[in-house]
Amino acid sequence: MMKSDQSGPHSLIWTKVIWRQWCREPKVPAVLILILALGVAVFLAVRLANRAAVTGFSLFTESISGDSDLLVRPRAGSFPESDLMSLREKMGATPATLFPILDTTAAAGPGAEAEIFRIIGTDFVALPNAVYLSDDETGSPIAAQTDGFSGMLGKPDQVFISRVFADESGKDTGDKLQIYVEGRQKELTISGIVESDPLRPQVPRRLLVFDLPGAQKLTGNEGLLSRLEVKIPPGPDFQNNLQLAREKLTEWAGDRFVVETPGQRKDSATRMSAAFRLNLTILSTLALIVGAYLILQAMEAAVIRRRSEIAILRCLGVTPGEIQKAWLMESLVLGLLGSALGVMLGVFLAQGMVGAIASTVNTLYYETTSRSAAFDPVEAGFAFLFGVVISLLAGSLPAREAANTPAAHAVATGIRGGGLKLLQHPLPGWVFLLLGLLVVKLPPFVTSQGSTIPVGGYAGALFFLLGISILAGHLFCLIARMLAAGNALPERVYASSQFRLPGGRHRLAAAGLLAAFGMSAAMGILVASFETTLNSWIRQMLKADVYVAAAGAQSAISENKIPGEVWKEILATPGIEAADRLRRYSIHFEGKDTWLAGSEYNNSERRLQLIWIKAPENTAADALTVREGDTYPAWVSESFSRVFQRSLNDRFPVPTPDGPKSVVVKGIYADYGSERGTVLLSRRFTSQWYEDDALNNLALYLQEGIDEETWLADFQNKFPGLVARTNRTLREDALRLFRQTFSVTYALEGIAIIIAVAGLGLAMVGLLLERREELSTLKEIGMTRRRIAAAAMWEGLGLSIAGVVGGLLLSLILGWILVYVVNRQSFGWTLNFTVPWLTIAALSCAMLATGSAVAWFTGYRIANLKSDLEEE
Amino acid sequence: MLAITDLSKSYGENSVLREVSFSMTTGERVALMGPSGSGKSTLLNCISGIDRPNSGSIELNGQSIGGMDERQLCELRRDSISTIFQFFHLLPTLTMRENIEFPMQLIRLAEKERKKRVDELIHEVQLDHRADAMPDELSGGERQRVAIARALATRPVLILADEPTGNLDTTTGESILDLLETVSGRYQTAMLLVTHSKRVTRICQRTVSMKDGRIVDDEK
Repeated sequence: MMKSDQSGPHSLIWTKVIWRQWCREPKVPAVLILILALGVAVFLAVRLANRAAVTGFSLFTESISGDSDLLVRPRAGSFPESDLMSLREKMGATPATLFPILDTTAAAGPGAEAEIFRIIGTDFVALPNAVYLSDDETGSPIAAQTDGFSGMLGKPDQVFISRVFADESGKDTGDKLQIYVEGRQKELTISGIVESDPLRPQVPRRLLVFDLPGAQKLTGNEGLLSRLEVKIPPGPDFQNNLQLAREKLTEWAGDRFVVETPGQRKDSATRMSAAFRLNLTILSTLALIVGAYLILQAMEAAVIRRRSEIAILRCLGVTPGEIQKAWLMESLVLGLLGSALGVMLGVFLAQGMVGAIASTVNTLYYETTSRSAAFDPVEAGFAFLFGVVISLLAGSLPAREAANTPAAHAVATGIRGGGLKLLQHPLPGWVFLLLGLLVVKLPPFVTSQGSTIPVGGYAGALFFLLGISILAGHLFCLIARMLAAGNALPERVYASSQFRLPGGRHRLAAAGLLAAFGMSAAMGILVASFETTLNSWIRQMLKADVYVAAAGAQSAISENKIPGEVWKEILATPGIEAADRLRRYSIHFEGKDTWLAGSEYNNSERRLQLIWIKAPENTAADALTVREGDTYPAWVSESFSRVFQRSLNDRFPVPTPDGPKSVVVKGIYADYGSERGTVLLSRRFTSQWYEDDALNNLALYLQEGIDEETWLADFQNKFPGLVARTNRTLREDALRLFRQTFSVTYALEGIAIIIAVAGLGLAMVGLLLERREELSTLKEIGMTRRRIAAAAMWEGLGLSIAGVVGGLLLSLILGWILVYVVNRQSFGWTLNFTVPWLTIAALSCAMLATGSAVAWFTGYRIANLKSDLEEE
Repeated sequence: MLAITDLSKSYGENSVLREVSFSMTTGERVALMGPSGSGKSTLLNCISGIDRPNSGSIELNGQSIGGMDERQLCELRRDSISTIFQFFHLLPTLTMRENIEFPMQLIRLAEKERKKRVDELIHEVQLDHRADAMPDELSGGERQRVAIARALATRPVLILADEPTGNLDTTTGESILDLLETVSGRYQTAMLLVTHSKRVTRICQRTVSMKDGRIVDDEK
């Protein structure tokens, strides 16, 4: 027999059977491609937005002087300019140029949410050197405008602004600009524009560049620097010179300063948000996995629909392996098309998401300048590959089912099948539950960057999900009884009969609903627990009547403060009974950034009460003022205790400008305001060490009978550069900020639920298509299309009930894991476990209603399809 | 050509075939008759390798089917045995011409030879004017003609026909029987026709009757 050299039968089946079917009914593959694309897009968008939030972390001077090679910054407090002398002596003839930098903030306007200007003070005389030290030919965008320099030297009111800000605000050279520094309004004159250069990091929008002495004078930091940037001239000896400079700097720095590369600084800053970003990635993966479940359902429905064709192929001599390959090819093509579309959508979606994520990161962690997410080929490739793999995995089960389809003769006998066989036996379910119990409390995995990943929590959650999904099938016998209870209508009797001997497909459909409901409700529990805890924390913490802070205080990077003379003037205002004072400083402790805070609480009954994780023996307002020899008593936050592994009575030195000070942990308190952790001491000591009388926050207790609103209006007239909020507005702002932080989470949850309900619709399509002969019989014995739809509705309701009941149990377990394991190991926060019963009840009703409606609609459509017998 | 010896098959306690033995020669047409549940379809499934017997042997051209693995059985169905169904079972996404061509593509027959055979078979089943029609545009009789052409495409030695006229009216059924007789004679293809209808026996050289899983009669 003449044989030709052609591709295998699976290619033939793909082109002649599957592809033709796609062409005849393009809606089905189009919907599947869109679903997969949505999953991939969400996944990629979150990753790109996360990446943008991290890469947007800026040292701010990069865009002016180019990348520095080394940074020197104090472990605590500021960098006295006077130290430069000894440093220059130490460096001697080492080929390195030193750029002193003052890096601080000012508010763009009054109010807590005022945008923050980043103030960079640098040596304008030395800056032109950046041109000669730069590898590229662009030099410094400021250095190029040398005309503006001479008139600016040392002046606190002469400023360069960014091109973006100039364009947005319509300001130009010579125009005036108002800012708020140290609680006072200041007027600046714009001396020049910092141009954006494609060869440099993007110039941050709200960047104000001053000559160093001018910035120091403007911000009240005379004689002080934030850091020193060091540039090594390019050339063949670069590496040797870098090494030499680093050695000399490290030797000089001792334990007062940190010498690091810009990369190390960035890692240290961005690692703080690693857990937050990881959680978002996991949630976005959830959307993709639920999408995969939907593809599985849809492809399985397609296999059932084409079962007779597959049977014919078997009769024509096509092997099961070839059929499996052909159907896998379908999922591969779906995966390739869906993932490609998803990558394109993802890049657009990321632009919308980056704002939300950057806003949270700005508020909670560090400043990011990102306003858009750049396309990243590695991330896109990863998302594309992930989408293809997920699609292949989702398609593998239907492909196997297609391969196992009996030949035509057997089809006529009405064999049913489908769904995961694993779901039909309870033993694996119990094994998964046991595994979940064993792994859930495992200690977290600590990455080389110091982030903790609760692997035991996540693995436990997965095992519980699998276990409960498998065991949920046992609910079907109860559902069967429930549906047939009383004098049931024939539709209910028929629907009930489907649950008496449920197949794998019923179990798979219920498992999909259960997973989506369970995970969403569990996230609801986490959010509710967070909100309840935060509420009770705020209630206990916020006892004062009015809270005062410098403008822009809501941003995590704000260094704005209330100078001593200003807060003293405030305290002299009539109507104030007492006040609590707080000043915090960023310190570099054991390789990480954390806070050192000095507090002074008043002695009244109403004073601030911390929530104790481990209470000290003495909680009085002046408890922190009692020294034990050279050791200072401290209360540390729960996050500090977790990150630095310090507990009650532990003694350790903390860096201060006055040298290391030994502190002893007397208490551990809850603090949901920061993940960085805080060491809280008496301000009596910190103000001496830092020689600083300023405050970050001032809580005022008004005398009885004083109207807060009237008092506040007078206050704001007198101190327009400060933010003052009443107890009520501060609470409202805190909760609004909290909800904004979780907004991305809600969106991702919503996507998961929508996909799960769509999955139920597809499951019903599969179940009903498989029973086309039965439906045909029902019609022959007098059941109308509407009654068949009603029977499908009862069946869908039964599946939804199984999903909701199983999902509820799952959500309680997952909620517990999220609150007590994942959250505690990731963020170090203790939350009060709270179940939002009302929200869960609403979610249940919504799922039961939409599940029933989708099933009714599916039944109504399929009731009119001809059976296999009728078709031929 | 086909030799079945002491073939038995049971599903649990239920014996469907009990020591069935019979044989067929090349080009022979045999009608297999019997009431529902007598084991006709199971016997057909065992011959085509879709079902496996518990005991006994089936040999096709001296080759034992019982010892074949799944791949060999698929190759057997591809190359040597074709099936015609009561409900035609054409692939709905393919045109009539493509349906006939499809099994030849599976055995990777050269395109030129395929086209030649398709034209020849279309002409044989007298559907030259409908070559590019889709299955749902054809009548029942036309669909069965396509199914017959498809069954003949790979030049099998044996065609199994399961109630080939069972879903057709009398006139169409008769014309299909005539066609089966003609092509069987022309291509020297043996045919085993499972039927309830006495009419089918008119094109067969032998009629084998089954009851309760046994052959009760084998008359020429």
